[in-house]
Amino acid sequence: MHPLKIKNLTKNFGELCAVNHISFDVPENSIFGLIGRNGAGKTTTIRMLMNIYLPDEGEIIFRGEKITPEFKDYVGYLPEERGLYKKMSVIDTLLFFAEIKGKSGSAVKKKAYEYLERFELLDRASSKIQDLSKGNQQKIQFISTILHDPDFIILDEPFSGLDPINTELLKDIILEMKGKNKVIILSTHLMDYAEKLCDHIAMIDHGKLILHGDLEEIKKKFSEGKITVIHEGDISFINQLPYVQKVADFGNRTEIKVNDSHHTQDLLKTLVERNVIINKFSANETSLHEIFVELAENTGSEQLKGEF
Amino acid sequence: MNTNKVKGIIKRELKDKLFAKSFIIMTLLIPGIIILSIGIQAWVNSYEEESASKALIVSEIPGLTKEIKEEFKQDKSIKAKDYIISYDEMSRADFEKSIKKLKPLLLDESLNGIIFIPKMALKNKELIYYSKNPKNRALKSKLGSVINNVLVAKYFSGRELNKADIAFAKKPIDFNSMKVSAEKIQEEGFGPEILSFGFTFLLYMGLMLSGTLILRSVIEEKSNRIVEVLLSSVSSGDLMVGKIIGASITSLAQMFIWLVPVIIIFSTSWFMLPVKFTFSISIWEWLYFFLNFLIGIVTFLGLFAAVGAIFDNDQDAQSGLWPVMMLIMIPFFIALSVGNNPDNSLAVWTSVLPFSSIIVMPARMTLVDVPVYQFVISIVVNLATLIVIFPIAGKIYRIGILMTGKKPTWKEVAGWVKLKS
Repeated sequence: MHPLKIKNLTKNFGELCAVNHISFDVPENSIFGLIGRNGAGKTTTIRMLMNIYLPDEGEIIFRGEKITPEFKDYVGYLPEERGLYKKMSVIDTLLFFAEIKGKSGSAVKKKAYEYLERFELLDRASSKIQDLSKGNQQKIQFISTILHDPDFIILDEPFSGLDPINTELLKDIILEMKGKNKVIILSTHLMDYAEKLCDHIAMIDHGKLILHGDLEEIKKKFSEGKITVIHEGDISFINQLPYVQKVADFGNRTEIKVNDSHHTQDLLKTLVERNVIINKFSANETSLHEIFVELAENTGSEQLKGEF
Repeated sequence: MNTNKVKGIIKRELKDKLFAKSFIIMTLLIPGIIILSIGIQAWVNSYEEESASKALIVSEIPGLTKEIKEEFKQDKSIKAKDYIISYDEMSRADFEKSIKKLKPLLLDESLNGIIFIPKMALKNKELIYYSKNPKNRALKSKLGSVINNVLVAKYFSGRELNKADIAFAKKPIDFNSMKVSAEKIQEEGFGPEILSFGFTFLLYMGLMLSGTLILRSVIEEKSNRIVEVLLSSVSSGDLMVGKIIGASITSLAQMFIWLVPVIIIFSTSWFMLPVKFTFSISIWEWLYFFLNFLIGIVTFLGLFAAVGAIFDNDQDAQSGLWPVMMLIMIPFFIALSVGNNPDNSLAVWTSVLPFSSIIVMPARMTLVDVPVYQFVISIVVNLATLIVIFPIAGKIYRIGILMTGKKPTWKEVAGWVKLKS
C-alpha cells in the first residue's frame, strides 16, 4: 500500500481556485517530485500536506490514517525561501526547531553535533546565523529539517544556492533518507534535478494535476517517436516528409517528432541518403523539461498570479 | 493546544527578549527618562531670564522706595543677583516727562521694565507697568508681590496695628491639603501626583515597548519566512499564544523591576521621606495595578501581533499601526490630565471603558479613593474586551502571516475576519 495518498484535494482563495481536485499517491521507498511553475499550486498543496491549510475538499491519508495536527511532528519541511532567526546561534536554532517538533534532550543535541560535523560546520556551532554564508545557512536549514528524524520530508527547491560539492552532499543525504523508508517529496521547477532524483512525479499547472506517475514510464510514453539529431548542414527538407509531425530547429541540433517509432529508421535513412553529416542521432529519448514544456503549452492559458 | 510546543516558543521568546542586552538597557533607561522629563518640566516652569532683570521703580509716594528696598532684602524667594533695581521718586507730571527719555532704554532692553507707583496706589493698589514686553509675567509678579507687601504695611502703619497684624495681612493663603478616606484623614503632598504621573508613563512605555517588540518579531518571522518552518511544526494559534505569553512575561518582569524600588521606598521606613512626597496605596491597589497591566498587555500584544501579520515590512506596519497607537495615546493624555480633577465624568468614564481604563484607572486611583465597584467594572470590561479582541486578532494573525506580496487593504483584512476557517 502507498504510504501517502492524496485524494481530491481542493483549496480556494475567494474566487481563485489554487488547487483543483488533485489526487495522487506517493509510493514507498521513492523520491516523489512535485513539479510546476511558480504559482502553479505547489506551495498550497504542500501547505495542505503539512496541515497549515485545511483543504476545502478532499483528504490526505498517511500510512492508512487521515492526517491530524500531530502529523506535523512526523514532517520535516525545507521551505523554498530560507527561514532562520538571524540572531540565534546555530546550535540554539537546531535545538529550537527540534523542540517544537517534540524532540529535546541530549540525544537530539548529540545528533545535531553529528550533522554539523558531517556538513563541516562543527566549529560554527555557537556562531550567529547572520554570520554564516548563504550556503552555510542553507545547510543549517536542511539539518533542522531532518534533525527530528521525520518520516515524511518535504523539500522545496533544496539545491538553490548550494555549490556543487554541497549539492552532492545533500543529494547523498536525500538518497540515504530514501533508503531509510522515508517518504520524500521534492518540489522544484528545476526539471534536471527532478529528473535525476525522482522516481515518481506529479506535475501541477494552474492548480490542476496535468501528469503523474512513474517517471520512467512517463518518459517512455512521451519519448516515443522523438528524435534528436546533431548535424552539419541544412535539413529543412524534412518538414516535407509525410511522417514528420513536428520539427524544432535549434541550429546544429534539431528535435523531430515522427508519427510512429518505426519511422525513426526511415528518417535516418533519408538523412544519410541526402548526405547530411550526422554527429549524433538519438531516438526515443526525451527530458522531463521537454515533457513539461509540451504539456504546459497544451494547457497553457494565462499564468496564475501570486503564490499562495 | 500543545503545551510542550507552546513552551518551546515561550522559551525562545524569553531567550530572545528577556535575556537580551537591549532589555536591560531599555529597562534601566526608562525610569531615567521619566525622572528627566519631570526635571525638565520643573526647570521650564521655574525658568527665568538668565541675565539679571533690570527694572526701575518710580514712586510718587515719598519714602516708599526705601521701604521697597528693605522688603526686597527680606524676601527669601527672590535672589538679589537676579534683579538690578534702581529707584526714583518724582511726581506724576515729572515722570511723564522723563518716560520719553527712558523709552530708548526700554527698546534696547538695557531696562526691562519700569513700575510707576502713583499716590492713589495707597487707596486702589493700581500701578503702571512699562515694558517692551508687558506680558512677561515673571518680573511683574515678583516685583508686584514685594510692592504689595510694602503698600499693605504703609496702609496700616498709621492705624495702631502691631507688626503681627500687618504680617498677617501680608501673608498669602496657603492650602494644606488633607486627604479624606473612609479610614482616616491625613495630610497629602505631591506623592500621589508624582505616582500618578509615574504610573501613566510606565504603563504607556510598557505597552509601547513590548508592542513594538512583538510587532518587529512577527514581521521578522513573516518576512524571513521563518513562519513557514514554524507552522510546519506548530499551529498558528500555538505560535501566537506562545509569543504573547513570552512577551507578557518579559513585560511584567520589566514593570516589576521598575516598581519594586518604588514599593520598597514608599512602603517601608528604610528611607525617611518628607511627608510631602509620601502616598498611600494599598496592597489591593498594587494587585489591581499588576492584574490590570497583565490584561492590558495581553490585549495589546494581540493587536500588535495582528498588525505585524498584516504587513511584511516595518515601514508599512508603522503606517498601519495608528489605530492601535491611538488606543494607547488617547488614554495616555487623558491620564496625564486626570490630576486636574480625578472625579470629573471624563476621568470616571475613561477609567472603566475598554482600552482607556488600562492607563487611566491606575493614574486615577493614586489620586482619589476609587469605589471598589469601579475597579470590578474596569477588570470585567477589560477581560470582556480581551475575550472579544483575541479571536479576531488571532484570525487576522493566522491568515496574514502566510500572505505575501501586495499590501492588503483594510477592507480585505475585514474580509479575513469574516472567513470561516
